[in-house]
Amino acid sequence: MRYGLLIDLKKCIGCNACTVACKVAHAAPPGVFLSKVLVEENGSYPHPKVTYLPTLCMHCEDAPCVAICPTAATKKREDGIVTVDPDACIGCRSCMAACPYGARTFLDEDPKPYFPGAAHTPFEEAVQARYGYRKGIVVKCDLCVDRVDEGKEPACVQSCITGARVFGDLDDPQSQVAQRIAMGDATQLAPERGTKPSVYYVGA
Amino acid sequence: MTNRTATGPAVTRRTFIGGLAALAGLASVGTKVFGRKTERVFAQSSRPRQDEWVPGICNGCMQADCGMLVHVVDGVVVGVEGNPDFPTNRGALCLRGHAAILGLYNPYRVKAPMKRTNPEKGLGVDPKWVEITWDEALDMVAQRLKAIRAKDPRGLVSYEGFGDIRDANLRADWLRAFGTPNDIGTHGPLCSVHYASSLVSRQMPISVNDFALGKYVINIGRTAGYNFAAAGCSKRMADALEKKGLQFIDIDPRCGRQASKAREWIPIRPNTELAFLLGMAHVMMYEIQQYDEWFLKWRTNAPYLIGPDGYYLRGATTGKPLIMDASDGKAKAFDDPTLKDPALMGTYQVNGVETKPGFQIIRDGFKQYTPEWAEQITTIPAATIRRLANEFVAEARIGATITLDGFTFPYRPVSVNDERGTMSHRGGTYADLTTKLINMMVGAMDVPGGCQGNGQLGPTLRPDEDGVVPPFGEAVGVPFKFPPDHVDMSEFYPNKHTGPHLAAKAMVDPERYHLTYDVEAIHIIGADPFRTPNGPDTVMEAFKKVPFVFNLACFYDLPAEMSDVLLPSQHFFERDTLRALSRSHMNMDETTHGVELLMTRTPVGPFYNTRHPNDIWIELAERAGFLYGPGGLNDQINRRNPTPGWYFMGTALGPKYKLDLNKRYTLQEIWDRQVRTFFDDQYTLADVKKHGFIAKPQLPLKMCYNYYYVPGKETRHPFYFNHLKEVGDKLRAGLEANNIPLPGWENETELALSFYQPVPHWVEPPDFRSSEYDMFAINWKVPYLPSACSGLLDNPLTFEVADNLDPYDCNFWLHPETAARKGIRNGDMVVVESRSGKVEGTVILTERIHPECIGIPGFRGLRTMHQAQVTEKDFFFNQLISNDDTHWDPVNGGLNQSPKVKIYKA
Repeated sequence: MRYGLLIDLKKCIGCNACTVACKVAHAAPPGVFLSKVLVEENGSYPHPKVTYLPTLCMHCEDAPCVAICPTAATKKREDGIVTVDPDACIGCRSCMAACPYGARTFLDEDPKPYFPGAAHTPFEEAVQARYGYRKGIVVKCDLCVDRVDEGKEPACVQSCITGARVFGDLDDPQSQVAQRIAMGDATQLAPERGTKPSVYYVGA
Repeated sequence: MTNRTATGPAVTRRTFIGGLAALAGLASVGTKVFGRKTERVFAQSSRPRQDEWVPGICNGCMQADCGMLVHVVDGVVVGVEGNPDFPTNRGALCLRGHAAILGLYNPYRVKAPMKRTNPEKGLGVDPKWVEITWDEALDMVAQRLKAIRAKDPRGLVSYEGFGDIRDANLRADWLRAFGTPNDIGTHGPLCSVHYASSLVSRQMPISVNDFALGKYVINIGRTAGYNFAAAGCSKRMADALEKKGLQFIDIDPRCGRQASKAREWIPIRPNTELAFLLGMAHVMMYEIQQYDEWFLKWRTNAPYLIGPDGYYLRGATTGKPLIMDASDGKAKAFDDPTLKDPALMGTYQVNGVETKPGFQIIRDGFKQYTPEWAEQITTIPAATIRRLANEFVAEARIGATITLDGFTFPYRPVSVNDERGTMSHRGGTYADLTTKLINMMVGAMDVPGGCQGNGQLGPTLRPDEDGVVPPFGEAVGVPFKFPPDHVDMSEFYPNKHTGPHLAAKAMVDPERYHLTYDVEAIHIIGADPFRTPNGPDTVMEAFKKVPFVFNLACFYDLPAEMSDVLLPSQHFFERDTLRALSRSHMNMDETTHGVELLMTRTPVGPFYNTRHPNDIWIELAERAGFLYGPGGLNDQINRRNPTPGWYFMGTALGPKYKLDLNKRYTLQEIWDRQVRTFFDDQYTLADVKKHGFIAKPQLPLKMCYNYYYVPGKETRHPFYFNHLKEVGDKLRAGLEANNIPLPGWENETELALSFYQPVPHWVEPPDFRSSEYDMFAINWKVPYLPSACSGLLDNPLTFEVADNLDPYDCNFWLHPETAARKGIRNGDMVVVESRSGKVEGTVILTERIHPECIGIPGFRGLRTMHQAQVTEKDFFFNQLISNDDTHWDPVNGGLNQSPKVKIYKA
């Protein structure tokens, strides 16, 4: 079993519903985006081409971050999801150097409150406690393992207002995501790095 | 029930029951994807009570129609997601819905009743709030209300806004009970989009694309979904574009999210949409000349003969409008059974006068609008205008039919639709009317695939005594009265949407606007009259002049800063509510066509000393003496319009469930009566509470098109707009009888009245040829802040994304060639200056914008000292919009939202 994601770029409108759903699901500290959408413009007036590229941890099959982590804080679950244990992370950042996708963020301070000049809200306190954010650790997308373990889709998938994301088991040929990839037009980011990302894109 | 369509697979019509199914649905989504089984459901539902998912409804935009599930652990909201069973958003939820949790927990909210102690008012002036008790606050307000009501109830002016409009649905009843006509929608002047749909199809609020059966759409100056980026409308748009192969043409000065996904983006010079539409209509009338003749002859008033006075020529004895029968050359009453072939063209002598069919008059009027002429004005090449007109007519499939549930309709899978970008200009009403003409020429009006009103479903198209669909709502026209009753000048702008800008001017200068009573108090609910229309200066002056301002406030925004008393209102997560689903402003398809439901929220909190706005009104009505008895608040609730599906004002009470006029009810008691009425006693409020929402069986698809109810030759849409002329003539007569010019248009009264002609014509926008102000400033909704709802202006998450992730959402767009000419580089700070004000921001160079434009995204600015300081980019676009009445559309009241500006480096 290997969980993965397929994103249809023709459907992505760069609205960042996923970005904020992710942000809220993890109460990610200010300045930290565990997933986000990049925008790129090409072509010229009156035929510009706008591309929105949602990014997140690629949960690579051969994840270099897992191999390089000196404390085994970064682990790969049997279902393919790559996680970071905040208690085991020593903040050496070797994973950040190893990741070709810039999917990781180093917390150089304890989480600040969302509202300037105020204390953490009860929401931040409650949700951030689950993730153990603190100064000196590395954080990244965990593909919403808590949700997945409850039988749900990751927040970025469920929230998507155009239905641009398909989530499922890449190893199950019957799954929607595997069937879509089998059509042959799906691409991965930087496949030449040999990490075998579990996130695929179509419609580029 | 199943419907077969000619063009697609079977469409299942469902009955929805929300909540429990929805909670199970969370896991059942998982079941589908992962093959996990239902123990998860039981595991979930057997959790202790302090960890639960409760139904919610999002208020993150004006549509506010997404079902939510709210995760509450030990009383704290820790998560939110779309309700998978809710028919609009189907599990998705946009960024605003997620970010709204931070609105709930915003530490800068209004947390208790407050009283101003500093008499000086202004932006940046500390009101020096002092906390008071609810009793004290309510009594202060009630005493004022009592005195005003005894003296002249018109002295109370209310501003309402999208921030609260959906939940705070006793507002209109409360104001009627009080007795003031001054119920002012603050969102109106940049949303003056209702006139033509109300005139042509009796549809309020507007007309939208049919994504169920439409195949080709020309969208001009409006969002069909993606630019608004709410979950429901975007899902339907994605399905239409990516699954159903809809051809979507987007005409807009900029290539936004929506245009970037369209088949084609066609840039247009701002304020010239009317010229494009006239050019397209010209091509259809003079070059293509293929019409849906049956539709024009039998389903519109296009063949009605028009007399020399510009009105219908009527039979001498019957008084009925006449039509020339081409089969025998005789003029006959429109309903004469011997009428065989109504003439659309020609000039005739009838009853001794020269007369022409309305169609001929409009065609004559459009003769000058060649595509070459339109190119000069719009910058859209004439060849493109011709191509679009030809595609439109070809794709209309004139003559085709479709059978839905055994009923055969004309099938016209095309429409031209417009909205704010086209209508909020001087001439915007004519532009909107011209879209109707274009759609009607191919018969694409209120039939499957075509232009769809998103108001009431039912026999709304039933004709009046002249055989024509009668006007509705704003299109009817407020009767002339002098001096006027309405502070927002409805008597002088009889067809306008709403007039917060006009009200402010009248309050400041009552003599000029003939306001003969004193405004003694202003009431605010979810509204921002400072930021929503144009620059805040006149409104500020009005607020300083009016002795008392009270505000059902949630945040310390500018209206709060200008108030005397704050009655703290709950955040939407905290509000119990009962609402009917409104039809979408963006689009419709088979998933939402014919869905009628009631929805509710399980409130969390309240976390502060706040109350539900409806509760506050009931309390105030009781204390000020207008809750009970005939005409009181209870009575007004009883008298609600029973029209089913009527928009967002809640629902009416059936005869069995009328309120006792002398009893005080809780909101829940009133809602229970609404539920029982809505479902004919099948359900109670408790049932809706249990399930989150309950829907009626979805209407069969055939019942989702208003043609079905009044088919064939049973009615006629207005094609020749005699009613507009009639309203204008009455206005002229009223002004002349009182020997006054049109206030605000003192030297331009004739120009103002020229907007009331029955045939649309080109009107040059203000300052169009100014060489000093050589650019147009344009503005649009971004997903983060589409309208002033739910404290998004104070939300750190929305601004964190808006300011950091997409540079097109926080910088000023400028075309590289224009920038080079002006010596401006990427990243430069520039000043954008109109005759009305200045705005500063950072430039992003982009090929995605018309070279004559500076594009300023989103709705920001005018932050107060007591609000959360969540951004440094507080540019305020509306400052640029003119406060000069002669810059507005005198019919729909729309401000000129694309003002002429000059730009230079800061």
